[in-house]
Amino acid sequence: MSGAGGRGSGAGPAAPRDGGPGAARGTGPAAVADEIRRILADATRRAKMLRIPAATPLFGDAVGLDSLTGTLLLREIELRFGVDVAAEDVNLDSLATLGTLAAFVADRLG
Amino acid sequence: MTVKCVVWDIDNTLLSGVYLESEQAGPEPDPVIAGVLAELGGRGILHAIASKNPPAAARHAARVLGREFSAVECGWGRKSDALAAIARELGIGVDALAFVDDDPYERAEVDAALPQVVVLSPEDAAEAPGWPEFSPPVVTDESRRRAGSYAARRRRQEAERAFGGGREGFLEAAGTAVVIAPAVPADAPRLHELAARTRQFNSAAQVVTQQGFESMIAAAGTDVVTVRLRDSFSDDGIVGGCVVERRGDGAWSVPLLMMSCRAMGRGVIGALLAWLARAAARAGVRTLEVLCVRNERNVPLRLALAGAGFSAAAPTADGRRQAAGPGTPAVFARGLDGPPPDLPAWVTAPGEPSRDRR
Repeated sequence: MSGAGGRGSGAGPAAPRDGGPGAARGTGPAAVADEIRRILADATRRAKMLRIPAATPLFGDAVGLDSLTGTLLLREIELRFGVDVAAEDVNLDSLATLGTLAAFVADRLG
Repeated sequence: MTVKCVVWDIDNTLLSGVYLESEQAGPEPDPVIAGVLAELGGRGILHAIASKNPPAAARHAARVLGREFSAVECGWGRKSDALAAIARELGIGVDALAFVDDDPYERAEVDAALPQVVVLSPEDAAEAPGWPEFSPPVVTDESRRRAGSYAARRRRQEAERAFGGGREGFLEAAGTAVVIAPAVPADAPRLHELAARTRQFNSAAQVVTQQGFESMIAAAGTDVVTVRLRDSFSDDGIVGGCVVERRGDGAWSVPLLMMSCRAMGRGVIGALLAWLARAAARAGVRTLEVLCVRNERNVPLRLALAGAGFSAAAPTADGRRQAAGPGTPAVFARGLDGPPPDLPAWVTAPGEPSRDRR
């Protein structure tokens, strides 16, 4: 466990953590969605993730997010954007689709 | 290869808590892990720390555990790089290292970068003293058998990397068999062990005692369920379980859902949740509810719940309000009006047609 930053407190920083590795390139919903597509392609080892539409359900058959790939996804989002989704959205409702997740993260990047 | 040095994470591994979030005194040592440190240290095995905490956290851990660490790497870099630096510093090969971390991402990263390292969760580490990798050359039959499960995991991981298809296809090809069954009193000690040791897949705020399981197994209206897992690589025995309260108001409530993290990625939790929904629907139940605390440790379980169609925002059977406190379980509800979820052919469970291919 990395331990740094407000994990689990429900009140994590709204801005990306500075100095963290792999700082995110863009902060708008479209840029965030592209970054999430890249994370999903790595986590699932399927290049077609790079082309999924924003409305694609993350838990549906197309992506098939499970506890393992989901954990990797949330960790990469925390590393790249400084947003701890699991702490700020305890019900994980933001994981409904690629678009809702990207909007949730972008919203916290201000 | 016998392990010469165990490299430990700090938060929720050496310590029972997160250093940077703790009060002035800092978290206490994890009592189980403290015992493992002492046992392995007595065999001449070194201990080291790889942490993304500041160095003060490592000093705190050393102080409360009352022991010196042979090497300490604190920083934001990759854990695999920290392990390589520790091996260089100690003058041993990377293949003589074991790595213990509660974070599945960190374990996956080290596993991928340094496949020769023995990578363990804290739950695994509690059993490690019985394995030959951590034992002097004299090895008992008992420890040999336990170690078989570790060796089998290595072989399974290698096979999965080599396998061309997706996860589902691999589970099928590996001869995965999940057996869901009603618990009997003899299962109570193992169920209690799981309740005490599981973190990433545990819905409960409190640990159920062995006596607690014994009385729930005997109670009318409450079902205790065990989940066994085996495949062509190993037989892991009971890796999970749950408690189901068949309420009279058209809902089934699951106050405890748990699984060993060694079963992660092997289809077990998804199979259990799918079977629960199917069994409840067969019984004419309208809503299935899982009571689950929302803490940073059980994110994998909450992801599995979300993936199986459970939502803490969904209406509960009796329309009550959701609890707000972080230590209070939330009600993750799933309506059963739609078509029931599919159950893979390799799952054997009560009320399901036998589809055993063997």
